Amino acid sequence: MTDRLEVAITLNVPGFTLDVAWSAGSGVAVLFGPSGAGKTLTLQCLAGLLRPTAGRIVVDGRVFFDSAAGVNLPAQARRIGYVFQGYALFPHLSVAENVGFGLRDRPRAEREARTAEVLGRLGLADLGARLPRELSGGQRQRVALGRALAIDPALLLLDEPLSALDAPLRRTLRDELRALLHDWRTAAVVVTHDFTEAYRLADRIVVYDAGRVVQAAPRSELLWQPASESVARIMGVRNVLHGTVVKATPDRIQLRWRGQLLEAVNSPSRSYLPAADSPIAFFVRPEYVRLIRKDRGAADPAHHMNLMEGTVVGDEDFGTTWSLRIRLDGPGAPAQGAYDVEVEVPHLVYEILEIDRDRRWQFSIHRGSIHVLPA
Amino acid sequence: MSPDTTDALLLSLRVAALATALNAGLGIPLAYVLARRRFRGRGLVDLVTTLPLILPPTVTGYYLIVLLGRRGWLGGPLYQLTGWSVAFTWYAAVVAATVMALPLLVRTAKAAFESVDRDLERAAYTLGRSELRTAVEVTLPLARNGILAGLVLAFARALGEFGATLMLAGNIPGRTTTVPLAIYTAVQTGEDPTALLLVGILTALSCVVIVVANQLGARAT
Repeated sequence: MTDRLEVAITLNVPGFTLDVAWSAGSGVAVLFGPSGAGKTLTLQCLAGLLRPTAGRIVVDGRVFFDSAAGVNLPAQARRIGYVFQGYALFPHLSVAENVGFGLRDRPRAEREARTAEVLGRLGLADLGARLPRELSGGQRQRVALGRALAIDPALLLLDEPLSALDAPLRRTLRDELRALLHDWRTAAVVVTHDFTEAYRLADRIVVYDAGRVVQAAPRSELLWQPASESVARIMGVRNVLHGTVVKATPDRIQLRWRGQLLEAVNSPSRSYLPAADSPIAFFVRPEYVRLIRKDRGAADPAHHMNLMEGTVVGDEDFGTTWSLRIRLDGPGAPAQGAYDVEVEVPHLVYEILEIDRDRRWQFSIHRGSIHVLPA
Repeated sequence: MSPDTTDALLLSLRVAALATALNAGLGIPLAYVLARRRFRGRGLVDLVTTLPLILPPTVTGYYLIVLLGRRGWLGGPLYQLTGWSVAFTWYAAVVAATVMALPLLVRTAKAAFESVDRDLERAAYTLGRSELRTAVEVTLPLARNGILAGLVLAFARALGEFGATLMLAGNIPGRTTTVPLAIYTAVQTGEDPTALLLVGILTALSCVVIVVANQLGARAT
């Protein structure tokens, strides 16, 4: 599959340097990272609203910007649909006028037909005469999308499309937006700093940090194989831990952590082979730690890999799940302040096992659930 | 009313209306450029435009004579070429009123333009509008109330202009004597009823201006 979108740009603004290169195919690419990482600046460069200091931007074979060749297509000529943070609907124009705004060069009948079609597809047919201030947050989002999609854009850009909404609405509209982006089959670039949002919307995720791309990968690869500890931290991965390598082979990595000998699966695609005794970072997702039930007999070390024992020193109720903070037996300071591992269990499990009373637990982690982070 | 009083009133209205029209033509584009563009000399343009607001009107009037008088930088060559000078004509009153009113409009309109969300203009650019069309279709309508408030203030300022007008246009009854000059003359010559009448008219007009400007300002936010 050829890339529809190629970006390689640098941009110097006072106090900040953006220096990024990434590409994306059709589908949805998400630019993910903390606020101030340069995601919105990238969108503005793509749209032609900001001129990069140097580099090249190609969309579907059309060169938008090429500093070496002296090409810089103005925003008006790029045919890019831009959904702004806060939507930037024209407050003095009706919904229909907003959606039809980019169709001015077309004959009136065609313009009206296209506007009606877009309003209909987005479920806004009855709202054409309203003003933006008379709409709900979700309706405004759809109008902004409709205005951008009406021009049949070569590329759709969405800057924090859900940040203007209340929390309960965000979840619903996230899924609605996802369906919509797939339905319209327009290549899209979405900016967000929320990983759940990024994962739900993306085919491919580009991770930004301090003006640079630290990883670009399909979303599932990113979820399970962050390229480094800093990427894992930007993603908000919990239980990022540090141990020492005992032995590394293409299949397995043995490591020592808090006095325990742990075994992890090495990634065959990356064949990461650190030297023995070198430091190594890894992470364990809290929902992948197994508590050993006491009513099923003694734990079997052959079956339960990476078996450990400790005390629940803290727990927090997250509504549908409980987060347990477990401190291991044995000497030395705990890995994460007051505890070593965070474990997440569903409410039902918490109640059946009576964890509120019973604080001593054995637990195991499958070697496939210990994810090594390359240095 | 005496003929002189009527003349002064009509002249004042004509001068103020023309000065306001000139303000709209010059000041609105100037305010847009100052609000939206970064260019060399921007600070200087801002300074020169604002100066008449701060300077004593006679000082501004003096500069206008230096510029437009019969021996002025621009007025001199014009006088030698055509034998005509703007000084001591009613056009001079229009020039003085325009210059004195300009800072009020430019500052109000600039603030109104700056209050328009730049993302709205960016959205218009991505939807194919040029900067000029965007300014006309998006920025101007959204800044409208602030600009109208500025024009109302400019009109009021032009109507009440005294010092710079006296310097450049003089005080020639029936030709350059506007209402404020007529009031001054009436007081000097002891025509108290005339002074009182004109003072009353200007006060009433000023009250109307304040109410209108406030209402426009309130709708702008």
